[in-house]
Amino acid sequence: MNEGKRPWTASPDDKVFEIYIKTTPERLWEAITDPEMRAKYSFGVETSSDWTPGSSYSSSVPAAGIEIAAGENREVDPPRRLVQSFRALWSEDVKAEGTSRVTWEIEQVEDSCRLTVTHDQLRPGANGELYGGWPMILSGLKTLLETGEHLTTPGSLRYSGASEAA
Amino acid sequence: MDTVFRALADPTRRSLLDELFRRDGQTLSALERRLPMTRFGVMKHLRVLEEAGLVKTRRRGREKLHFLNPVPIRLVHDRWVSKYAEPWAATLSGLKKTIEEEA
Repeated sequence: MNEGKRPWTASPDDKVFEIYIKTTPERLWEAITDPEMRAKYSFGVETSSDWTPGSSYSSSVPAAGIEIAAGENREVDPPRRLVQSFRALWSEDVKAEGTSRVTWEIEQVEDSCRLTVTHDQLRPGANGELYGGWPMILSGLKTLLETGEHLTTPGSLRYSGASEAA
Repeated sequence: MDTVFRALADPTRRSLLDELFRRDGQTLSALERRLPMTRFGVMKHLRVLEEAGLVKTRRRGREKLHFLNPVPIRLVHDRWVSKYAEPWAATLSGLKKTIEEEA
């Protein structure tokens, strides 16, 4: 892990998620920033932004009228690095947690990519819902890029039926 | 997946993961205090967990913090365990629905 690129020091309250995906950095970047691809492995949640540095983004399930998260894209360096502020909006409990930070780092390793998602600047003892979805999201992202298919384990389709139901 | 199963096959390594699940981001010294084993033993087991991608380390000044990476366990679940576990879950939820409809 190239720690030299991280301008900050680790805290015991950080959450670290790492996955290897057999794809190119460019395809992985696309899967993270393209609203349609993103929704396929994010419980059906759509994320929209123009992905310029300093721009804002919002994540929601429009058909169900549910706001999921919002924030700013603090650093945008395709296809390597994306740093976002993160405000969870899906319940009063998570809203009370305030703003944290999500950093996506992509490194090519032979014919695959190592994707590291660091969710930090969390309150000590922060609500586990804030970061608890990452393993399922990243597993679904791997399935989508490696097989072109949707992950269909229970929970992974939580919101994806919302558009049909509405 | 083999390295993950191998790493999980040892009870001491599972208790190290449980310890990081309880409190993430611990130093080697803190983990050593929590487990009835030598520093060398803890280091050896942490190395196996790191090789399986289950533990990631980050620096904080001169300290090295150990973080649980739960993603490989999720991958084992999604790609292997779920095919055995889910038909049961589906059967049980179907049973619940039938009972509720009859009631």
